Amino acid sequence: MRDVQWRCRSWFIAILVGLLITACTPPPPVDAPAAGDSESAAPAAAESATGSDEVLQVWITWGDNPAQIQALFDQYGEANGVTVQVNAPVETDKVIAALAGNDPPDILVTGGPDNVGTWAREDLVTPLDDLISTSGIDLEDIYDAPLSQCAYQGSYFCLPWGTDTYALFWNKDLFEDAGLDPEQPPQTLEELVEMAKQLTIVEDDGTISQIGFVPDFSWSHLDLYTAMMGGWWYNEDGTEITFTSDAVVNALKWEQQFYCNSDYSTDEIQRFKSGFGDYSSPDNGFYNGKIAMMVEGEWQPGPNFIQNYKPELYYGVAPFPYPQADPGRANTSVVSGSVVMIPAGAKNKEASADLLAWMVSPDVVAEEMVANFNLPSSAKAAEDPRFHENDKFEVFLNLMGDPNAVAPIMSPINGEVTTALGQIEEQVLATCADPLPLLEAAQAELQPQLDAALEQ
Amino acid sequence: MTASTTARRRFLTGMAFISLWMIGFFVFNLYPMAASLYYSFTEYHVKQPLVWIGLQNYLSMVNDDLFWRALYNTIYMVLFSVPLSLLISFICALLLNIKIPGQSIYRVIYYLPSIVPVVASTLLWLWILNPNSGILNTTLAQLGIRGPNWTHDPFWSKPSLIFMGLWGVGNTMVIYLAGLQDIPNTLIEASELDGATWWQRLWRITVPLISPITLFNLIIGVIGTFQYFAQAYVLSADMGSVGSALGAPLNSTLFYSVYLYQQGFVYLKMGYASAQAWVLFVIIMLCTIFLLRSSERWTYYEGG
Repeated sequence: MRDVQWRCRSWFIAILVGLLITACTPPPPVDAPAAGDSESAAPAAAESATGSDEVLQVWITWGDNPAQIQALFDQYGEANGVTVQVNAPVETDKVIAALAGNDPPDILVTGGPDNVGTWAREDLVTPLDDLISTSGIDLEDIYDAPLSQCAYQGSYFCLPWGTDTYALFWNKDLFEDAGLDPEQPPQTLEELVEMAKQLTIVEDDGTISQIGFVPDFSWSHLDLYTAMMGGWWYNEDGTEITFTSDAVVNALKWEQQFYCNSDYSTDEIQRFKSGFGDYSSPDNGFYNGKIAMMVEGEWQPGPNFIQNYKPELYYGVAPFPYPQADPGRANTSVVSGSVVMIPAGAKNKEASADLLAWMVSPDVVAEEMVANFNLPSSAKAAEDPRFHENDKFEVFLNLMGDPNAVAPIMSPINGEVTTALGQIEEQVLATCADPLPLLEAAQAELQPQLDAALEQ
Repeated sequence: MTASTTARRRFLTGMAFISLWMIGFFVFNLYPMAASLYYSFTEYHVKQPLVWIGLQNYLSMVNDDLFWRALYNTIYMVLFSVPLSLLISFICALLLNIKIPGQSIYRVIYYLPSIVPVVASTLLWLWILNPNSGILNTTLAQLGIRGPNWTHDPFWSKPSLIFMGLWGVGNTMVIYLAGLQDIPNTLIEASELDGATWWQRLWRITVPLISPITLFNLIIGVIGTFQYFAQAYVLSADMGSVGSALGAPLNSTLFYSVYLYQQGFVYLKMGYASAQAWVLFVIIMLCTIFLLRSSERWTYYEGG
């Protein structure tokens, strides 16, 4: 009966070899299951446009309202006798696969410039300098900060469409409850820490029931804090990593005060944070009054967010506080947002360029950004009265135009750099560790990578 | 018609039938494998020519702290998750093998979680495990126990994932159940006549007779766990902090495949990712060979 045993064995081996083979292929880019993404926004039918059979594909990695965006692009299609198909939202994995493959979209819009450096390094996107000089796109009309986020090694690889910036939101009801003047938000970073203390309620058993401020609420704002401290994590031209600069170290230490203090334990704030509901829901920590102050973007006062989920919320918006020692940094903000690019593999570059020039023209920027409640990146568009109907939105408009507005500095290894920083931020907040040694180690590891990438 | 033409015709017919699979295998398995082996010795750029860099990618792994972290996390899962899920699925199979009325309903109920898509079940579990409002900690609180921070605590995040995994042991369980039903009744009856207790029957008859199934489940489990990806990816996406999300909290769920994915598809370092894939291949291969060799001591093949 030995052969029975062997038969069993050979079955095992056959199956195992099969499994091992699958083990070796890298995991496929899975459909990112991030909340809110859905397949439902497959290419919206755009057969309405008439004329030639030319079809232009526009992929956008965000989009709460695909129908509105499609309608906007149909205007271009009708005027130019082409069909424009909008695919929004597209997942990043799909974008990377398409950029690397043979059939990328004609226009790609991403929510931020984070990947532009990497894609430029890999020749996946087209430099736009020629297009800008021939198509009459007026760079003077585009705000400096959002424009500079597209510059990479002396060329523009993208152009801003709309853009975003962040400010301080405060809940006036909670200010009143804590005996603070509801019309007086903190002016300096030091005041913010002090007020946050007064706005925090810790129960007898040590649990937190209300908190004044969570520095990384919803996501990291280390960029804003670092800018507020007067620096960035690269030098000006993005060739050197400056993790150990005072700005980065001080920003992290400032954040640590909200996690590592004598009022509540780090474990308690982690626990408290995990109880916040979804970002886009009435249970958002700020909407439901669990957080008294937060850093958020210009879309919040718009119809898709607070007006939709918590219209009765009594709150104010003000520029984020500056360090007491340096009032000159008042109104500093990081301006960054949607950018448009042309994939290197786009079939008809001229058609892409024409569509891109139309997209960044002031009228179109105004129309799309009004619909989305995002900042227009064009100064002419910003004059549109529809941007000036909401006082809170005005705060963001002013921040964007302020001389202290900065754009993120980019590098060809931006992904690695921001991931490393994010991990350090997470660690110093969760463990109260001294940021400096961690920053030194990360800088020592990343600088050679950056040098190598820049040499390519 | 000579014998050889018949043989040839048969061969060609056979090949024709198998060709679909063969084409798929060569095009979608063998070629990508071979290509990734080649890429692993190069600096890979999507649009530019490859640059041969010899063993550089392999050497970088040695000094890459995150690589070791990812390997540690993965081995942790293999060491704890695989034996635990084997044990649980074996116990479930034993229970579902008892002859009681309505047993088929129980079998369906225990198998059901396995057909829930991984993403959906993971999101569901993240709800259950929410430290503040999750049903688990709320229930514990009523018993006077303060539950941990589960997926938000680097110490508990891997146990949380193991815990989630146990919910989906249905497939392993079914294989065990099939094995249990293959055990000849004569042996059980004979042992009962000899006065064997339930425990003796289990330990001296069931466990040895089912050992080849245990080997199979063990190896499949080890291979699957080394490639652990989807649940960790969903967990990271849910933690949501942009940029540092993969592996959160504090890289405690940065598993081998997750890190490989990040290097390849986020940073576009396909050469490095390919090298990592091959190292994983070798690790899995060695584990499998070890398990197969060692199994000679602890598996029993009836009649063997």
